[in-house]
Parts: sequence; structure tokens; C-alpha cells
Amino acid sequence: MSKIQEIATAIESGKVKLIEGLVQEALDAGEDPTALLNEGMIGAMGNVGAKFQANEIFVPEMLVAAKTMKKGVEVLKPHLAGNSVGAKGKYIIGTVQGDLHDIGKNLVALMIESAGFEVIDLGVDVPAEKFVEAIKANPDCKVVGASALLTTTMDSMKNTVKAIVDAGCKSQVKIMVGGAPITQAFADEVGADAYTPDAGAAAVKAVELAS
Amino acid sequence: MIIIAEKLNGSIPSCAKAIAERNGDYIKEIAQKETDAGAAFIDVCASVKENELDTLKWMIDLVQSVTDTPISVDSPDVNVCLGALSACKRPGLFNSVSGEGNKIEAAFPVLASDEYKKWDVMALLCDDTGIPKTAAKRIEVFDKIMARAAEFGIEEKRVHIDPLIEMLCTTDDGEGISMVLEVMRHIKTTHPKVHISGAVSNISFNLPARRLVNQAFVVLAMNAGMDSAVLDPLSQDLMGVIYATEAMLGLDDFCAEYTSAYREGIFGAKK
Repeated sequence: MSKIQEIATAIESGKVKLIEGLVQEALDAGEDPTALLNEGMIGAMGNVGAKFQANEIFVPEMLVAAKTMKKGVEVLKPHLAGNSVGAKGKYIIGTVQGDLHDIGKNLVALMIESAGFEVIDLGVDVPAEKFVEAIKANPDCKVVGASALLTTTMDSMKNTVKAIVDAGCKSQVKIMVGGAPITQAFADEVGADAYTPDAGAAAVKAVELAS
Repeated sequence: MIIIAEKLNGSIPSCAKAIAERNGDYIKEIAQKETDAGAAFIDVCASVKENELDTLKWMIDLVQSVTDTPISVDSPDVNVCLGALSACKRPGLFNSVSGEGNKIEAAFPVLASDEYKKWDVMALLCDDTGIPKTAAKRIEVFDKIMARAAEFGIEEKRVHIDPLIEMLCTTDDGEGISMVLEVMRHIKTTHPKVHISGAVSNISFNLPARRLVNQAFVVLAMNAGMDSAVLDPLSQDLMGVIYATEAMLGLDDFCAEYTSAYREGIFGAKK
């Protein structure tokens, strides 16, 4: 098995304890750090997301794979050219105003990061204006994600999308929405660019929207 | 164990469908089944975006047309909960307040009034900063809520605390649910009259064979002081585990409750 393949396998199977050693070994053997990142790690996480969407693996398995990648990236970072990590661009994410739930949002953030984005996490209970400010402060950001868990905060989601549109940010960013009560129909109604039902699908969609 | 039956909730797809179709028979059937299974409260949550209060009242009326089991009036919007109180024929559970926004200021004066002084109240341990990540922070929120309850003269025995049970599968490495259990033990020690509650099935979200995870959790939680729970009483194995655990904790002399619940068909061999 090639070093890159070994790293990909370790990430897919969530070998948190082995990953740092494997990445170091690959670097010592003269492997190209950028190839390790793109083919070994981001590629592996793509497979993980696909397996999750196909119900072949469960949330904790996806979570540990993403954490494994994060550890590997730490070893890789000093060897990469400045902007290789997060080369897909910036991704602004947050849970909408009035909603304190962050588990789903965090999982999506982790998967988006694993897909090669630099994630700007605004946290929970984020007012619409704060989304707009963050978008304006990061003119190179092309995708933004808003999360809501409660039916009572769906209006807040609607306001968030509207505020981003009204602020004239639609030429800069695409808007993704998600969370338990959110549906494709709701996303269409409020004028979001995409709805995804889970973290694996969100990562795939983010890549598509950013390119 | 105080069973708060969870099935009449618009966030459950089958119930959402019944609500959308205004299928009253479905609501009545579930309410009857939950009563038969030993529910102390029947939780009613509309979980709709439009006309939440009207929908909630419609559901409450239907439940009360088939059973006298008290209602747990459930909405994340405190004004919807308040608006639905008058629809209830007898004292129930106000579900819920928390440290968020003005929920306590809005709800406690009403719950302290003569008209609603027999109602229980569920309080969630979160506040405007979010869902606290540590036991110490959740206990801080708890202390603030209890201080306000005392000011309003709401007795401890009327308060159910939901320490916020989050899904097991995304808890940080090695932590599991030990933090939540620590909160429960603390409350049990410092405020023995307060009911310790929570939404049991949250624990197993996103895991396969969820019912096993729920069962393991109730044993641990009851050992840490849980004596109230939002769950599905139609899950016979879960109910059996609860009765068995109560007996093991010394809360059921001569296993009388266990044996009679078995005889009533709440769990055990299907008759």
C-alpha cells in the first residue's frame, strides 16, 4: 500500500492514534505534502461523507474520521505552502438567532473543514446582521451556512437569508441551510441556494457551490 | 418515576402528518395508549411554524376528550405555553422555561398565582450564552433558576430540571455522559425535592439500535437521581427496565410496583 493510501485508510477508519506517525513517515519518505493533503486526507473524507450518506457508517464514525484528519493536518501544516489548508476558500457558518443548538452545526463545520475549507464559525444565536458583517469582512468567502433546530427559529432562518440578500451579498456568497425542521421546500421558499439533510451532503454541496 | 409521554410531538413525522391533516383520531388514540401505559403527564407539542398556539389548543382538547391524565404543555416559545394554559382542565406541567431571555420573568408570576399554583414546571439548564459545556456552568444556571423560583414562592417539588441530555455519539472523547450525571448527582444532593428529568431518547440520536442505548441510559440516570423523564411509555422494554431499576434502587418495596405493572401488561410477555 502506498503511503498516501495508508493515510487515507487510517482516516477512513478513524485511527486517531496512528495518524501522526503515518503522516510523519510519509513526509520522511519524501512524499509531496500537497498530495498527502488532497489525495490522502480530503479524498478520504469524501469517501467518509459518501458512506455516511449511504447509511454504511454512523455519526461517531464520521466524527472520529474528521478528528483523525485534523490531527494529521497538524503534522502536515508546517510543510505546506501558506494557503494549501483551506484552499477551497472560506466558509462562514452559524446557528441562527434564537437557537442555541450547536451539535449539528459543529458536525457540518468539521466536515466542511475536512473538505478543504477554512471555516469561520460564528457560534450559536447569531443575529442576521452578524452573518452579513462576517460576509462583508471576508470578501473572499463564497459560501455561508445557516443552521436551525427548532420550528420556532425557522423565521429567524428566513430573516437571515433575507438580510444576506438585502445587503447585496448574493453576488458574493451562496447560502446553504439545514437543521431538523428545514426542508428543500423551505429552502426554496426563503431563497436559499441549497438545502442538505446531513453533514456529509453539506460538504459535497459546499465544494460544488464554491467552485 | 414520573413518566412524561412524548409521542404527541409535531417533530415526530407520523404526528406531524396527523397534525397537518387535522387527524384528531390519531391524537386521541396516542393519548389513550400513553395513558394506559402509565403516563403521569401527556406531553403535547405542536412543533409547527404557523398558528402554533391554535394547533396546540386543538391537540390539548382532543387529548382531554379521551383522558384525565394531566397535560404537559410543550413549546420552545414561552408565550405559546402561557397561551395554552387556560385550555387545560386540570393542573399539568409547564414545559418549559430556561435561563434564556425573559422566559422565567414571563412564566413564574403566572405559575406563582393562585390559579396555577398546582402546576409543575420544567426548567432547562441553558441560558443566553447557549448550552453550557461543563457541569459547573449548568449548575450555575440551575442555581439562578432555583433562586428565582424561591423568590416567586414556587416550591422545589414543583420543579423538574432538564439538565439537557445531548446525543451520546458526539460527546467528546472519553467523556460520555459523565458530565450530565454529575449535574444530576449534584442536584439530588443539594435539592432532594427537585425532580430530575430530561428527554431520554435524545441520548441515542444517530446511533443504531437506539432502544438499547435508551435503556442503558435510564439505568445510569436513575442511579444519579433521575425521577422524571420525557420518553415513550409504549416502549415496553424501556418501561420494564425503569420499574426494575426502581426496585433495585430500593424505591419499590417488595417489588410491588414492578409486579403490578407487569400484571397490567405495561411490560413483559405480550398477552
